[in-house]
Amino acid sequence: MSTQTVPQLLRQQLAILAESDQRIDGRGRWEMRDIDLEVGCLYNAEGSAKVTWGDTVIYAGVKFEIRTPYDDRPAQGSLMCGSELRPVAHRKYDPGPPSPESIELGRVVDRGIRESGCIDMANLCIVPGEKVWMVVLDIHVLSDGGNLFDAAGLAAIAALRNATVPAARFDVGEDYQLPVSLTPIMTTFTRVGGRLVYDANEEEELGGDERVSVTLGDTGAMHSMQKGLKGTFTPPELAEILDVAAEHCKNLRELVDSKVN
Amino acid sequence: MSNLEVGAEQRLVIPGESIGDCAGKNLGSGVASTNNGTIATRLGYLKENNGTIYVVPINAAYMPRSGDLIVGIVEAVQSNLWFLDVNGPFNALLPMSLAPWKVEFGDARNHMDVGEAVLARVQEVDECHNLVCTMKGVGLRKISEGHVASVSIQHLPMVKEILGDLKIAADCRIIVGDNGRVWVDGGAEGIRLAVNTLNSISKTGHIDGAKALLEATIVGGVA
Amino acid sequence: MGGYGDVKLLNDDGTRLDGRAIDEMRPVEIRAGVLPAADGSAYVKHGLNEAIVAVYGPMEAHPRRIQLQDQAVLDVRYNMAPFSTSDRIRPGFNRRSREISKVTAEALASVVLVERYPRSKIRVEIEILSAEAGTRCVGITAAAVALADAGIPMRDLIVGVAAGKVEDTVVLDLDKAEDNYGQADLPMGIMPATGEIAFMQMDGDLSMDELNTAIEYCFKGAADIYELQKAALKDRYDGGVSQ
Repeated sequence: MSTQTVPQLLRQQLAILAESDQRIDGRGRWEMRDIDLEVGCLYNAEGSAKVTWGDTVIYAGVKFEIRTPYDDRPAQGSLMCGSELRPVAHRKYDPGPPSPESIELGRVVDRGIRESGCIDMANLCIVPGEKVWMVVLDIHVLSDGGNLFDAAGLAAIAALRNATVPAARFDVGEDYQLPVSLTPIMTTFTRVGGRLVYDANEEEELGGDERVSVTLGDTGAMHSMQKGLKGTFTPPELAEILDVAAEHCKNLRELVDSKVN
Repeated sequence: MSNLEVGAEQRLVIPGESIGDCAGKNLGSGVASTNNGTIATRLGYLKENNGTIYVVPINAAYMPRSGDLIVGIVEAVQSNLWFLDVNGPFNALLPMSLAPWKVEFGDARNHMDVGEAVLARVQEVDECHNLVCTMKGVGLRKISEGHVASVSIQHLPMVKEILGDLKIAADCRIIVGDNGRVWVDGGAEGIRLAVNTLNSISKTGHIDGAKALLEATIVGGVA
Repeated sequence: MGGYGDVKLLNDDGTRLDGRAIDEMRPVEIRAGVLPAADGSAYVKHGLNEAIVAVYGPMEAHPRRIQLQDQAVLDVRYNMAPFSTSDRIRPGFNRRSREISKVTAEALASVVLVERYPRSKIRVEIEILSAEAGTRCVGITAAAVALADAGIPMRDLIVGVAAGKVEDTVVLDLDKAEDNYGQADLPMGIMPATGEIAFMQMDGDLSMDELNTAIEYCFKGAADIYELQKAALKDRYDGGVSQ
């Protein structure tokens, strides 16, 4: 990723706005941008979703491969989740091997899904000890308008819940719906003008500091957290954003529920 | 011929599109004469002025011209010069001899550091995009307060047209750079109003009647 | 081209398996300005193929050794998303995508007025989201719209379109089965206003007469797609006037 110069006036302006609890695009501190979610939109993917989140556009696609199981879990399938921040997404992204930024994005989304236990891995066994399904989830960022983490997390879980295991095509039985019993949702907070706000846009990320991402499951339990970028926060701040996160997760989960069957 | 009349309905053209008979007329920017007749070379609106036919592009990168007033952001500093991001394809050079201060060699960073904004003028630009800026001149200086907003290059004329009204409505000092950066200085509310107005010009400025709509927004914003 | 003769690709009434006439294209849909972060962008759906293209620039060409002193470099990347095909593709460049990127860049450089921007580069990022035969053509059709949308000066657009041969019959716009089991494939990049050819590849087995028919079909298909390219660009900006 080529480094972007941070205009000092932008940081100064964000700090002035924060004093009166305002944001640069007029939103409230915990307010989300407009989002749109489409599922089943990619012809060759077994499950797919497109998220338009403000100026951010992300696709997620699910494919399946047959693998030999791991020795310690002979009757369990597996999950692989990757993301690539390709140069299509923003002028700041360079071509070449995956950057640390894109690997972090894929791994944080992966942990939220994996640790929630939302996929019934025992259901992905074909022949114990010999053949199991590997679920391969790819996140494809097409436009980076800020808050990639939440948009990627939403696209990922929506694509999984939309997915069909293509058993017939591989000659191992009949197609069936990928069993996804829970809907983990990620929410990300960024320090802008000295205080944490929800769902930072591109300008706020450029002129802001650290980000804290939290993935919550259906019961409100935490499944993954990640602090990224330079900056620090305090335990009371974490408690405050967790309250806000719970509310947003609930709403976003309802959105996913309304789009998938 | 008839669809080229001045003031007539605007005609949107795309690259390669034939624009008809242009005998006796000068071809301006975005228009070229080829073996297949006269064509548009850019997406935009076809205009005619004083016998010259040209295309006003819908999207355009900033291409510096000497004399342009620009808002630049310092991208890098060396011991005797600054590199400015001027919102164009190439960075500009600001040598210390053209700075408004007396700068000792090696002392450039103490006057102006990376990320700071300046109001400067394009001193010279050559065919290969080598670009030199100056800060010697009336009103040229370092900007240390307010906000730098962006507006697309092709909408600058529209911004300049409503500038007077906008300054009054927002109660702000506003300086429009030819490079699509606009410096707004004033109260937080006023800056918000000005920035929102500039953003909506960039988003909808290509639509007829946008100006009327904007004037309504400005008025609505103060009320 | 795979094993011909043994797979039936034409119906008894002379139509194709999907019901198209031999000179009929799959349905095409084009939209301009779909990616907020890009300077210009376009989406094309052609049959079941889907491509999105982002254009960035002109910007200073880096690293310096790729700079040309008298013109801009077109830095084109054709990439298939991992989920775009029935078997997942490993991310990253491969020989096929490198070749397609190269010839696509050269085709686009033939219409872009590159001499306007010495030492610059214009980035064209072609992302294939769904593939069903003919993705390089879909990429070219989308790239031309995205370049125009970015305000890049050009002397014409380019339309990507293919013809081929199945069961000894020349057909326009091969679908997946026809691409896999047909006898020839001729993807072309046609400049619709001037009638020049900026891109061409071919593999298989064609006679001179068949080639002429195939070219004729390609030009006919290109004329239809060109209307959709124009409409996509004009709709994006004129669409608001009536509101």
